[in-house]
Amino acid sequence: MRNLFLFLREHYFYFLFLLLETFSLILLFNYNDFQGSSLYSVSNTVTGSVNSMFSGITEYFSLRKTNRVLIEEMAKLHSRIPEAFYITDRNVFYKKDSVVKLEYKYISAKVISNTTNKRNNFLMINKGSIHGIDHHMGLIIGNKIVGQVVSVSPHFSWAMSLLNKDSRISGKFKKNNQLVNVEWNGGNYRKGQVKEIPKHVVIVKGDTIITSGNSDIFPEGLLIGTITDFTNAQDENFNNGEILFSTDFNSLGYIEVVVDMMRKEKEELKSTFKSQ
Amino acid sequence: MTSRTVFFNILRFFFLIFFQGLILNHVNLGELGGYINPYFYIYFILLLPFSTPRWMLLILAFILGIGIDMFTNTIGLNAAACVIMAFVRPFVISAISSGPESLIGDTPSLKNQGLKWFLYYAIILILVHHTSLFYLEIFRFSEFFATFVRVLLSSAFTLILVMISEYIIYSGNK
Repeated sequence: MRNLFLFLREHYFYFLFLLLETFSLILLFNYNDFQGSSLYSVSNTVTGSVNSMFSGITEYFSLRKTNRVLIEEMAKLHSRIPEAFYITDRNVFYKKDSVVKLEYKYISAKVISNTTNKRNNFLMINKGSIHGIDHHMGLIIGNKIVGQVVSVSPHFSWAMSLLNKDSRISGKFKKNNQLVNVEWNGGNYRKGQVKEIPKHVVIVKGDTIITSGNSDIFPEGLLIGTITDFTNAQDENFNNGEILFSTDFNSLGYIEVVVDMMRKEKEELKSTFKSQ
Repeated sequence: MTSRTVFFNILRFFFLIFFQGLILNHVNLGELGGYINPYFYIYFILLLPFSTPRWMLLILAFILGIGIDMFTNTIGLNAAACVIMAFVRPFVISAISSGPESLIGDTPSLKNQGLKWFLYYAIILILVHHTSLFYLEIFRFSEFFATFVRVLLSSAFTLILVMISEYIIYSGNK
């Protein structure tokens, strides 16, 4: 026994190292599941307040740009209100209330922390569960996609940016609705990869990729980006391409969270099929 | 270790955590931005006095890493890399110095140990830290070479920041 103690004392440095390293790795692999965990919410609340204080200062530097974006957005919305339409025949435009039901609701939020230079990028926004935000809700800026919420605390949300190894967006060609997947392999934050383009699709540089609406996270038709390059693989079933993201991830100010009002219904529908 | 050294180290600890968490983590260098993210906060571990007990090295490195992890929501990632770096530090010091008596002063610095010693010291430790950090972050081998490029470029930038700070202190203490 005495020898054991002597041994431990002699080599305490190695044991302490092993102890701390194991502890760190346990923390790393248990609490960094991108689906969100309780530890996320704790550190969200701690650093959330520091980050929002700091972004309160830095947002003054981008006021000009924020104003421009807001005015553009307002113009777009103005052009959609009923007064902007020339109504010739009321019968055509009339729809019963039970037919027109709100499917998507949008909550505006401010990005208070964001990175683009890591392999896995996340952003924090200043709205949380008390504002009605929940896991798997999509983030958009204008009509361009940003990411999805992975964890919420009462006042803040932690979202996975599209610039993340776990991010996989279901998209499609605007011209012919062919489904593809959009991923990010790291490196340049403006460019991503388009995977699984069926062989028969004729790709042209400049083709627009939009969201497919298949994922329950983003509505259909939001801009992802345009194709800048592609390869014609000889021995594989799919072609791959390079995409220039429409979103400038490095200058996110105010964004919107997409709330799918019918998500519950969709999920229930899927689960009833599974259980049969 | 004087109380003055302790005070400066505590100050440096908090300054570097906030500097890293609020500013350096958001620095973007354009097209190459995804490959370069300097982790300057490890300057704290580099500058801990030689007389720091080895157990304390490990514990301080762990707390420092957790502090940085709070900002990036990657609990354990920076802590793991920092603990590895602190573990290696005593071995690096004894490997590159000719003996314990050859170390002048208590704090490792460019001024006391000279350019060659300090460069060896900083480069080895920065590489150890960045290599463990980036490979733990990605944790797959499919992106081995891309990660390797990130390690090298980011280490170079961290080293530049460390050397700039050393020169500022060097000229300030004349």
